[in-house]
Amino acid sequence: MLEGFNFRIIWEYMPLFLEGLRNTFLISILSIFLALIVGVIACGGRLSRWKFLRGISIIYIESIRSTPLLVQIYFFYFGLPTLGIRIPEIQTGILALMLNSGAYIAEIVRAGITSVPNGQIEAGMSSGLNYFQRMRFIILPQAIGVTVPPLLGQAIVLVKDSALLSLISVMELTRCGQVLTSERFMPTEAFFTVAFLYLCIYFCLKYLADWSQKRLIFKETY
Amino acid sequence: MIAYYFQRLIEIFPFFLKGLWMTVIVSCLGLIFGTIFGFIMGVLRSQKIRLFNWPIGIFVSVIRGTPFVVQIFIVFFIFPEWGIQLNAISAAVLALTILGTAFICEIVAGGIKAVPKGQWEASASSGLSIVKQLRLVIIPQALRTILPPLVGQYVLLIKDSSVVSVIGVVELTRVGWLTVVRIPEGLMVFSLVGILYFVISYPLIRLSNGLEKKLSVGQISL
Amino acid sequence: MIKFKDVNKWFGSLHVLQNINVHVKPGEVVVICGPSGSGKSTLIRCINRLEKFQDGELHVDGMPLHNYSINLTKLRAEIGFVFQQFHLYPHMTALENVTLAPIHVRKIKKKEAKEIGMEKLVRVGLGDKASSYPDQLSGGQQQRVAIARGLAMSPKILLFDEPTSALDPEMIGEVLDVMIKLVDEGMTMCVVTHEMGFARQVAHRVIFMDEGEIIETEKPDQFFDNPQTERAALFISKILTH
Ligand SMILES: Nc1ncnc2c1ncn2[C@@H]1O[C@H](COP(=O)(O)OP(=O)(O)OP(=O)(O)O)[C@@H](O)[C@H]1O
Ligand SMILES: [Mg+2]
Repeated sequence: MLEGFNFRIIWEYMPLFLEGLRNTFLISILSIFLALIVGVIACGGRLSRWKFLRGISIIYIESIRSTPLLVQIYFFYFGLPTLGIRIPEIQTGILALMLNSGAYIAEIVRAGITSVPNGQIEAGMSSGLNYFQRMRFIILPQAIGVTVPPLLGQAIVLVKDSALLSLISVMELTRCGQVLTSERFMPTEAFFTVAFLYLCIYFCLKYLADWSQKRLIFKETY
Repeated sequence: MIAYYFQRLIEIFPFFLKGLWMTVIVSCLGLIFGTIFGFIMGVLRSQKIRLFNWPIGIFVSVIRGTPFVVQIFIVFFIFPEWGIQLNAISAAVLALTILGTAFICEIVAGGIKAVPKGQWEASASSGLSIVKQLRLVIIPQALRTILPPLVGQYVLLIKDSSVVSVIGVVELTRVGWLTVVRIPEGLMVFSLVGILYFVISYPLIRLSNGLEKKLSVGQISL
Repeated sequence: MIKFKDVNKWFGSLHVLQNINVHVKPGEVVVICGPSGSGKSTLIRCINRLEKFQDGELHVDGMPLHNYSINLTKLRAEIGFVFQQFHLYPHMTALENVTLAPIHVRKIKKKEAKEIGMEKLVRVGLGDKASSYPDQLSGGQQQRVAIARGLAMSPKILLFDEPTSALDPEMIGEVLDVMIKLVDEGMTMCVVTHEMGFARQVAHRVIFMDEGEIIETEKPDQFFDNPQTERAALFISKILTH
């Protein structure tokens, strides 16, 4: 099956792959960081008492979750220029990834906050802690524990999602595979190498996620 | 100008409906096959039989750890090199089936493992065969945990089907892409595409959430 | 100290508290009992305003609770509350659970708070468990930590909502012992419980509730040996055969 597998060509293109890997890294880290900010803000809006804010947050979250990322990428890629906004493809891509993951993160954070049992909040109230003290000392420390594993799961999704930026010609890992395919027509070598590199990232993140699952979750015990 | 383009967009709306239809067909086939194979694999995986556990584990990790767009390229470009000839639509269905199988396998295995051990022991004590234990006792209970994420997985599959546009299947996203060349109003075109995805995804998301609320009695928090 | 005057409360159309009139004096120990769903929890949760009520007047430690603009923090700082399910903070050690409120509500220095916290833990017999996390403690120990947490603010009133009913029988005694010690020290307490022995030994009064109403208020021996109403008699016979 793989008898004709050409390792030489992979070696030859290694600098390209490494550059792609680096870009995938940078794009993912930047996007997840921005998405975290967007997600926390959207979650705040979602839980807010103010109807208007809540409405906007719900529309944002649900419309992102109900449409494919690729459509969102094209929306900005073809849409921003019609508004007269011209930014490099990579920025368009990061914008799309940020808004996409932000919506999922908002839901993760919300689940974390609502996972803290009501009794915990009542116990805090009963000793006279105010809203911010309850958030800071009781809810958040427990919520963050539950939130970290799914956040790492979202990071895994985001790394894979960033592969779609290849379709708007951002020079990341998948794009390298496409380049090798079109220049030398060696799709087997190209995409197996790409897949292998993604798997390496996946296993690292997966390991972290499993570890945090074991270490960070507190449970109220009776 | 915008009004003119809007007019044009309405004229070619049937084209969008055709794309939507293709999206529905491709993802339905993918999710039906994926459900069948996913259940079989999931049941095998939950049994801790060495012979199956290893290969299934590797298969699942590889599929979960690589971007779908890379998988599509592998199916479309590399399978033919191994003598498996596929047109774009079959390649799309095959890739979606593989993707669905891997994710559904994990959902099913997780659901089965969540059934208390006593249920196995009780059903075995009443003399049921392994197959009957599964069919009559275990799986009906496991469905409570399986169903909500399964429906959620269908939403993901429908959204992932947008990626098969890259190998030339004329489904909804591809239609948007072809249209935006002629009607250069990216925001408008891809809003329409997004709305059409929303129309099928959103009810499923609500269904998944509803099922989760309805079926969770002793809820296991994530 | 606590004065209910014609208090009424509804959950939607359910009339959970009907014309409640209770007066608890300083140093008094009141046991509240009654069938499930009769409104006992709702009643004592009103005292530290975990629940609001729609009608009537309630004064606690001189503060008018029917007036919604009172300072809740100040009110709750003076009242300890012990829950049926303990509700210890699972991410904190026993000592941290106890010192959280003194540090952040009373603004006591950490070192001083730790001393107070240790003193309270010793008082409930758990001086050696200060650095244990809740999941390393038995149910009875967790509940005693919860009591220490309630004591840490040196409250004027302690409220207990079925403090022993989530516990295995062999652990009930250790928690009741701690509570009895508190009674001896002169603490004002309202206790929802079905522990007859406890009620007979230390309660000054027993309040019997059913369907949102206070049916009887009696001295414990009088109540248990010679109930005035049929409903109370039925209830007592049930907890006796239990
Ligand atoms: N938040 C709420 N919303 C609506 N109804 C409630 C709420 N809390 C309690 N109830 C209802 O009010 C009634 C009294 O409840 P409460 O918890 O005070 O009873 P209880 O006497 O403490 O019973 P138990 O012995 O079971 O704890 C019950 O019928 C209950 O269903
Ligand atoms: Mg109660």
